[in-house]
Amino acid sequence: MRLANSATALVNLALKARDPYSATAVYSIAEGKQKHQLKELMFGKRRDALALARWEHTPASVLEALCSTSDDAIVVRLDKNQNTPTLAISKLYVAENQRSKCSTSLTVLVAQHRHASPSILKNIAQFESEEASVLALSKNLAANSEVLSILLGRFESSSILAALQKNISEHPSTSSQLLEQLYEKGDVYVKAAVIGHANCPLQLIDKALLEENVLIQRQLASDKRLSHEVISRLSLHQDKSVRCAVASNVIASRRVIKALVSDDSDMVRRAIASRLDLTAHVISRLMNDQDVWVRQKLARNPTVSFGVLDKLSKDLQADVRRGVARNSRCPIKLLHLLAKDEDYWVRAAVAYQHRTPKQLLEELAGDTAVDVLSGVANNPNTPQRLLKKLTFSVEADVRRGVILNPSATRFTLLPLLEDDYYLHRLMLVGNSKLKDKDKWHLCFDPDYQVRFTAFKYFAVHFIKSI
Amino acid sequence: MKILVAVKQVAALDEDFEIRANEKDVDEDFLLYDLNEWDDFSLEEAMKIKESGTTEVEVVVVSVGPDRVDESLRKCLAKGADRAIRVWDDSIEGSDAIAIGRILAAVAKKEAPDMIFAGVQSSDQAYASTGISTAAYLNWPHAAVVADLQYQAGNKSAVVRRELEGGLLQEVEINCPAVLTIQLGINKPRYASLRGIKQAAAKPIEEVTLSDIGLSGADVGAGNSMSHVRRMYIPAKGRAEMIEGTIAEQAAKLIQIMNEFKGV
Repeated sequence: MRLANSATALVNLALKARDPYSATAVYSIAEGKQKHQLKELMFGKRRDALALARWEHTPASVLEALCSTSDDAIVVRLDKNQNTPTLAISKLYVAENQRSKCSTSLTVLVAQHRHASPSILKNIAQFESEEASVLALSKNLAANSEVLSILLGRFESSSILAALQKNISEHPSTSSQLLEQLYEKGDVYVKAAVIGHANCPLQLIDKALLEENVLIQRQLASDKRLSHEVISRLSLHQDKSVRCAVASNVIASRRVIKALVSDDSDMVRRAIASRLDLTAHVISRLMNDQDVWVRQKLARNPTVSFGVLDKLSKDLQADVRRGVARNSRCPIKLLHLLAKDEDYWVRAAVAYQHRTPKQLLEELAGDTAVDVLSGVANNPNTPQRLLKKLTFSVEADVRRGVILNPSATRFTLLPLLEDDYYLHRLMLVGNSKLKDKDKWHLCFDPDYQVRFTAFKYFAVHFIKSI
Repeated sequence: MKILVAVKQVAALDEDFEIRANEKDVDEDFLLYDLNEWDDFSLEEAMKIKESGTTEVEVVVVSVGPDRVDESLRKCLAKGADRAIRVWDDSIEGSDAIAIGRILAAVAKKEAPDMIFAGVQSSDQAYASTGISTAAYLNWPHAAVVADLQYQAGNKSAVVRRELEGGLLQEVEINCPAVLTIQLGINKPRYASLRGIKQAAAKPIEEVTLSDIGLSGADVGAGNSMSHVRRMYIPAKGRAEMIEGTIAEQAAKLIQIMNEFKGV
């Protein structure tokens, strides 16, 4: 079958295939009569319309075309589908409100939809009384500060106030002003959420310093606006989660970290091991830590010296040695050593490491462990000759590694267009190394998801050319 | 040597669905059909035996169902099954798992296989009795929930490991021919190759009627089944409420709820 040379030709092919999924992929480029024919193909059977209304990949234009339906089951699916566009959600909401008996569950779905328009969300905030809808709206990331403010004002003396305060205190759009109100009236959980909020005003941080609650102190200890004096004080807190928050805070001074490196809590020392500002003294303490995770995190730390990595590469725990192999600055000499490790999980880390040279990857390609071979297949340094060989591996994970490898050339990838696993064929639709003529036959693949992806790929070409 | 693999096209449900007007099943518009997951493992086990020995093995898949079941049978053919048989007659509609077992046993008598594999259960109805009832009608030995199989084509017996409660395994030697119901995880089912899919599209599916296997409408269907679906329904959901506030506030709210229930 020859490559389609126009949008009309591509749509004709989708119509000829009689496949609703291919039809959805080309709907946005169709016009006039073809558009009607596609609609008939996609929505002619109720079970197809139901399936498309629910499918997470159905394009917004198709969902919008469906929204004039009077089928309640389809409406519910459109309200739930996160791809349903703003205009369609607005139409559905208006239609639902015009009914004599408005469905509460549908209002909840609109209230929580990410594409619901600001005006609809404001309308729900102003006039909806149903608790489920109000709570759903307070968690919707599309709700703006004004909507959240209306909600908090309307339900000030309601039984759902506590839940509402909790949701709004965690909402990213909540303004500083609203956060101040919440802090004054909320319980300890709300206060802690307010202190941890990105919009939390500095004056609330100062107020929170007087609080003794651990949850609030923990959020406070993560704040980057604290003074050195406060950070030092919190580093002595009796609760380990507060000290852990200090250990993770980038503004904690070297003196504070030096003191915390001897902390009883593993959690605190693990947080320190991931910091990028460690002194030689702190590193030497962490290197000999009893906790494996502390040493493992240190082994992954890109700021530690060759000497430290050298010592950690001989650790008795495989997870620590693997950490060294995964370190973005791991020296080649150590990679050679770790490539011969008895644990396949350590060798796999070497195979995935982007610093691993070609010669070492050739050696690892002889390994029998699937994870090691997957690493070789993924590694951009692997010679093309080896990648070609790995495309014939019986293990799907290894073949997928080649597909994901940015260095794999067109000729290496070509055999994978016939891969047994549909997902591999689907992944290749978007691969820039392959030419359109290589991918064209995927429009006629046995798997509907591959067909949809391929038709969509070619449809986008025609949209770009318009 | 022949292995008969009993497969079923099962219905999967979406989150939202409607019950049919007769309240005995889900409205078909809301069902998505696919090969039963357990049967994928049964077929793979048969294919492993076919591909591992020197004895020639024929793998035959059989299913009871209407035209739409051909899609699932073609999937089995694409994965390497040699033949596919579909049994259907409108009088079969409403048959329970025991009646389906009777039909499969009748097919087995005609095909004379050396082994029969079936899934432990189907994901939609979950009676877990089709394979066992087939064995009963044939008067063959059977082993259920097989998690491991040691068998070579032509052997007079097989060793199976059965999965029991609490992580226990039971090793059983079973005389052949036998019916085994295969558990998930016994192997790694393959994907059908594109070549296999193309070849399967051209292979015929043998359509078998009840009379072809020596049965009649009097042996099958809802009226001749030992169990009947009386009603299918969505149970009413219980109410749950998260009680917020301080410990004292939560306790006060709890007392209020209990008093409301007691009518105080």
